[in-house]
Amino acid sequence: MAKEPIPTAKGVERLVEALRVLPGVGPRSAQRMAYYLLQHDRAGADLLAQAMAAALARVRHCARCNNFTEDEVCSLCRSSRRDPSLLCVVETPADLAMVEQTLSYSGMYFVLMGRLSPLDGVGARDIGLDRLLARASDGEVQEVILATNFTNEGEATAHYIAEMLRARKIKASRIARGVPLGGELEYVDVGTISQAILDRRGL
Amino acid sequence: MDNRATRRRADNEAGFVLHTHPYKETSLVVEAFTRRFGRVALLARGARRPRSAMRGVLLAFHPLRLSWSASGELGTLVAAEWAAGLRSLEGLGLMCGFYLNELLLRLLPREDPHEELFDAYAGSLARLSARAPHAAVLRGFERRMLAELGYAPVLERDAATGLAIEPERRYAYEPDRGPVAVTGREGRPGVGADVVVSGRTLLDLARDEYECAETRDEARALLRALIAHRLGGQTLHTRTVLMELQEL
Ligand SMILES: [Zn+2]
Repeated sequence: MAKEPIPTAKGVERLVEALRVLPGVGPRSAQRMAYYLLQHDRAGADLLAQAMAAALARVRHCARCNNFTEDEVCSLCRSSRRDPSLLCVVETPADLAMVEQTLSYSGMYFVLMGRLSPLDGVGARDIGLDRLLARASDGEVQEVILATNFTNEGEATAHYIAEMLRARKIKASRIARGVPLGGELEYVDVGTISQAILDRRGL
Repeated sequence: MDNRATRRRADNEAGFVLHTHPYKETSLVVEAFTRRFGRVALLARGARRPRSAMRGVLLAFHPLRLSWSASGELGTLVAAEWAAGLRSLEGLGLMCGFYLNELLLRLLPREDPHEELFDAYAGSLARLSARAPHAAVLRGFERRMLAELGYAPVLERDAATGLAIEPERRYAYEPDRGPVAVTGREGRPGVGADVVVSGRTLLDLARDEYECAETRDEARALLRALIAHRLGGQTLHTRTVLMELQEL
């Protein structure tokens, strides 16, 4: 026998539906969030709505590095203190932030906003490889450092970018991989150690 | 087999990760190809957490030992261990690996064990990892996969006459039937849709011989047509992605 539907306001339903666009948010969590916002934090909800609208209206991709910015060209790309001969390619803005934290890199960036994922049908156009190639061919870039992830997808991405750069006579390099700094072999996963042995270098 | 009521456990099964999808905040759904259970979908809880022990292990193209328990469609992965140190695939070899995985994901039904296909897959990856010529690896796997799924291509007899294939003749290959000799210059009506190959290509394919460039080209076109026939109109993502890359 069909159960009587629980009465809900249209607006609540639409909010729950909208919250489900967030990664990892299923119907249950979406419902919890919606009730929480409406019941306990209407001011917070208003802030969220405004911030979202403002971000959507103002944030776009930097014409040079593809990272998020509110300007045509972001501040990092405009900075005169960065080395324009180096271009580091990363998958996401979070990866860029990570490389910045090292304080050991002072070149420029290009953010792919993804990676090639052949099994999901994510190809060169989806990650703007044509724009990266145009950026790398500006005449100032001397070396492109490929800092995509060490997953099969990240490796495929790095490989194809390197091939395309080689065809245009632009130097490409790949960040090294291996045992983490301060890592004790006993606690490092076998895959990493296996790769570190294969990628060993002379002393 | 009805296994809805029973909870099955599999321990240390030889297997490979074919693909993974993020699931909720920190988990992964793993599409695995195992030797004794075929293709299975397994939930790896917490596998996307930064310090997850499974994170560096659940990678495609590496021989693994998988343990899981299952009571329905989606099993729960309990452990995944490295089973052999294969050199990671690189470059075009990596693309070939993705292609093999897509073939299995598209054509092999879940929970349908194919031990020989598994061994052929493991062998193909090992050869790709050892930098063997890609064409030979791919054609060999495609042919074995079709055979294992019950669509072994006829390669040594004319499907119309039953006569032995002659190396110097041309044959139109009808996907559901096999090779039929093309007679004369006018050909046969309706040949247009079928791939036409030389007898030599068919015989080379039957022996897994890919030394000759013409064989490689024709075998590629033929197997592509036979696989397209089994895919029933679906296009392969890996092929589209590769084509797009070559345009840049
Ligand atoms: Zn920028």
